[in-house]
Amino acid sequence: MSSVKICPEWPQVNKSEYKGVWVYVEHRNGVIKDGSLQLIGKARELASKINVDVSAIMIGHNLGDLVKEPIYYGADRVIYIDDEALSVYIPHIYASAIVNLVNKYKPEVVLFAATKRGRELAPYVANTLRAGITADCTDLDIDVKTRDLDQVRPTYGGNILAHIRTPNRRPQLASVRPNVFPTPPRDTSRKGEIIKESLNNLPKPNGVLLGVKSVTRGDSDLPPVEKADLVVTAGRGVSGPEGVKLLIELAKALGGTIGGTKKVTDAGWLPTDRQIGQTGKTIRPTVYIGVGVSGAIQHIFGIKESKIIVAINSDPNAPIFEYADYGIISDYRQAVQALLEVLRSMRKPS
Amino acid sequence: MGATVISSANAGSNMGKELTIIVPVKAAVPNITAVRLDPVTHNLVREGVPLMLNPYDRNALEFALRLKDKYGGRVITLSMAPPSGKDFLESTIGMGADEAYLITDRVFAGADTLATSYTVAMTIKKLFPGFNLVVMGEETTDSTTAHMPAQVASWLSLPYLYYVVDGEVNMEKGTIKLTRYLEDEGVYEEFEYNMPVIVSVYKDSNPPRDISLNRKIQAKLSGLVKSVTNNELKLDPLCVGLRGSPTIVAKIEDAKPIPRKKQIFKGDPREAAKWLIENLIKEGVIKP
Repeated sequence: MSSVKICPEWPQVNKSEYKGVWVYVEHRNGVIKDGSLQLIGKARELASKINVDVSAIMIGHNLGDLVKEPIYYGADRVIYIDDEALSVYIPHIYASAIVNLVNKYKPEVVLFAATKRGRELAPYVANTLRAGITADCTDLDIDVKTRDLDQVRPTYGGNILAHIRTPNRRPQLASVRPNVFPTPPRDTSRKGEIIKESLNNLPKPNGVLLGVKSVTRGDSDLPPVEKADLVVTAGRGVSGPEGVKLLIELAKALGGTIGGTKKVTDAGWLPTDRQIGQTGKTIRPTVYIGVGVSGAIQHIFGIKESKIIVAINSDPNAPIFEYADYGIISDYRQAVQALLEVLRSMRKPS
Repeated sequence: MGATVISSANAGSNMGKELTIIVPVKAAVPNITAVRLDPVTHNLVREGVPLMLNPYDRNALEFALRLKDKYGGRVITLSMAPPSGKDFLESTIGMGADEAYLITDRVFAGADTLATSYTVAMTIKKLFPGFNLVVMGEETTDSTTAHMPAQVASWLSLPYLYYVVDGEVNMEKGTIKLTRYLEDEGVYEEFEYNMPVIVSVYKDSNPPRDISLNRKIQAKLSGLVKSVTNNELKLDPLCVGLRGSPTIVAKIEDAKPIPRKKQIFKGDPREAAKWLIENLIKEGVIKP
């Protein structure tokens, strides 16, 4: 090892001591987040390139059989901590528990799903290890020679892809956008190692969770945008809440769900958790139908992995047509009403 | 305007019971589609680029000002930026901050989030050791990492909480009740923390008040924005800027879209609807 001068706040790291790909597996109310399962699939791919194992990290209280799930989705090993002190989610406590595991096992890569909680945890973990971290990656690869993680993230509005690397520090941490990778199949015949670790050297909690409350949503009979196979998306060309209602009707007729551009959620026509695009959600449905969506680059960023893109817009010069498989140039109301009629006549019992 | 001007770097030493809120802000690039990148480092070329206050930092400042309105105390903004950053910091005073600090030095240039958070955290520690709260925006609109609040918390070994919408201070107990919203779960959570604590503010909460031009001009005339360089901060050059940054931008490329069929129908909406449904059936994505 060459002794390059580094910041005295940083521990010296011997890169060759760090081996394996880790996924922090986030769960809530006994259910693992899709983003974490998707990352196990990607981790498998990276790990096989450099011939190492995939470990899933789980922490919490009363985890039960949930700790077996990562194995079914492709992990070789689950390392978990089950402790009453973790029954309440306090960010710096959870992050410190992960830091302790990393210091013990020394993985070379640690991945987090970029959920709201994942984005909160990952930078504290990375910083406490004085390691590099890249946020909201949309692709990952690994350099077989240097074992450097190639972390791809859109930047400056999504029109540029930056490849970030951390050549001299380990581990390499990244948070990855949910739904950019597919969920691997669940195979209950897969076998793996399950290791229980105990909690130690944690900072004082300094905080207590006083309560959790769920909010009810008006559009709650429709699935969230990231879960549906077909997403009808309202853009600014849809002139108000009434127009959005018409699109909800279309979404229901097609067995899909409703989403909106930033303009639409900013206007309050749909809740912000239905916002699609760079500052909202990334989706990869089978069919995306953009209605009155102009196609700003920030929105395209969130839909470009869709299998089929349909655009309905009265402006023939709308940029979205450049990204569409099928486009209809028409007033949106007329087109949507016609679509509803065609669907009704098709499905009329004969 | 009763803004107290703090003139020395020992400002924090005589801090008592007064609620002291630090709001680190960022000079974001306004038009993210028209940026220039350095061909060698791939970092953003900031020279000659007009700077504006990151929009979500205004919600953070609003949250801090609401606490000040209710409990008294003072709100101090600070930012690591080129010398031209003075102007957007004056805007934070125009909004209601008492004073502002511009952290500016060539040695801080080219920093990734680890080095930036180190610089910000150490500045807070040196200038305002008695602070109660650090409040930041949820993320920036130009680089969107949302790293800074957690990283600053880590450097200062303090608890932290993201996506906060509301806060209630108890100065006697030295605690704060925080309500936060997790957008992807549709869940509100309430926490109680001992201060000091680091928070980020949910971007769709605390709609910001207007910037008073009068106050902004006053800030300029009274020199309420102070500059701090590494002469005062004395941070190890190995820990800041490019050298204190473990990550590098190895390569940049234009985002390329997946090739699309681009079949466009123009004409009678009924015909268009039939044409589209037929094609979607042919693709096997909807059932006849």
